[in-house]
Amino acid sequence: MGRVPGALQQTVDLLHKKLEQLGALKQQGNFSVDCETYHATATASGQPSKLLYVMHNSETPLSCMALFEGGPCLVADANFDVLMIKLKSHFQNAKGHKVECRGWKYRYSDFSIKVGTVTMNSSARGISAEVEYCPCVVPGDCWNLMKEFMQSFLGSNVPELPSVFTVKPEGLFAPSDCIDTMTQYLELFNKLRKLQMPGSNIRV
Amino acid sequence: MEAPPVTVMPVTGGTINMMEYLLQGSVLDQALDSLLHRLRGLCDNMEPETFTDHELVYLLKGQQGNPFILRARRSLSHPTAPWHLRYLGQPEVGDKSRHALVRNCVDVATSHSLPEFLNEMGFRMDHEFVANGHIFRKGAMKVVVTKLSRILVPGNTENIERLSLSYLVELSVLAPAGQDTVSEDMRSFAEQLKPLVHLEKIDPSKQRH
Repeated sequence: MGRVPGALQQTVDLLHKKLEQLGALKQQGNFSVDCETYHATATASGQPSKLLYVMHNSETPLSCMALFEGGPCLVADANFDVLMIKLKSHFQNAKGHKVECRGWKYRYSDFSIKVGTVTMNSSARGISAEVEYCPCVVPGDCWNLMKEFMQSFLGSNVPELPSVFTVKPEGLFAPSDCIDTMTQYLELFNKLRKLQMPGSNIRV
Repeated sequence: MEAPPVTVMPVTGGTINMMEYLLQGSVLDQALDSLLHRLRGLCDNMEPETFTDHELVYLLKGQQGNPFILRARRSLSHPTAPWHLRYLGQPEVGDKSRHALVRNCVDVATSHSLPEFLNEMGFRMDHEFVANGHIFRKGAMKVVVTKLSRILVPGNTENIERLSLSYLVELSVLAPAGQDTVSEDMRSFAEQLKPLVHLEKIDPSKQRH
């Protein structure tokens, strides 16, 4: 993992401090989310294909999530990674595009908070904050509560309602699942990937 | 987005290099009961297990070479169970002394979005069938006795017609590469099923007509 530039590390420390001031407890162990990008080498129809993302989350260590941007998603077991090796003549891995996010887990009452540093190809790109309200799986029933909680440590940086919920036909009232979480990470990763960050190309 | 550079694959999880050791044979419908009876006697003591599966065979055609084949299977008797995605490599050639067919094998359990996902990857369904039958186990060995049926109306697993008047019998073991003693065990087990069924090393690539 790459070193984190001073400014990012300061922000991470500040978020940790704010959470601890609130009374949140640091949990044992850290968390990680990673994402590999694959592209089809050639399609029979000659049409350009969408990128295929294969992701892992330490919260679901036996699973592997495969996603097409805006398209179908698959939850599979870890052998899916082995299958991608078999498919290497059809889908090539863009190693330079590997994104990782690692950090600490906090618990504040019914909230689980994960603050992570996002690195792309060993260079730090940004900070992620994942907030989960554990007793409820229906986003529409807890969004206002979550927003209020996030304000307490993110201040004015509270995000808008994640689009993954607004684009669903049932909207906010369909239960969320691990794919919804991974879709949000993927959106964040792609946003950070497009950011120009001069001077951040620090390598180990 | 520009095409990312091409590099070597990383692996995060999963079991690399699992091999399937396989012997195959068949029995006529009339002989099914005596075979099942024999298997019940020889195999591990367990509740009789039956299955009814729907298998879809998908092809991914590249610009050159053979198409890449994947098999997607779902249980019709347990519709909420995960789908099973399977890759089977080409049979290993050369080793004549080995008693079983050996091929690379990757098994993946997946969510129910598999057909849609494979389509997005560029795979197209080539053919489908219904397989139903009985499963037996003896240690690491698995014996599957299967009746294969063709699907008359695409996608409709109710409307089927049996493919033949016999049952396919398969004896298989999954083991890491190089464990060739496995094939010895399989051979001695297959001996015990004679003359009810003759299990042989059959190369599927030589069966195409």
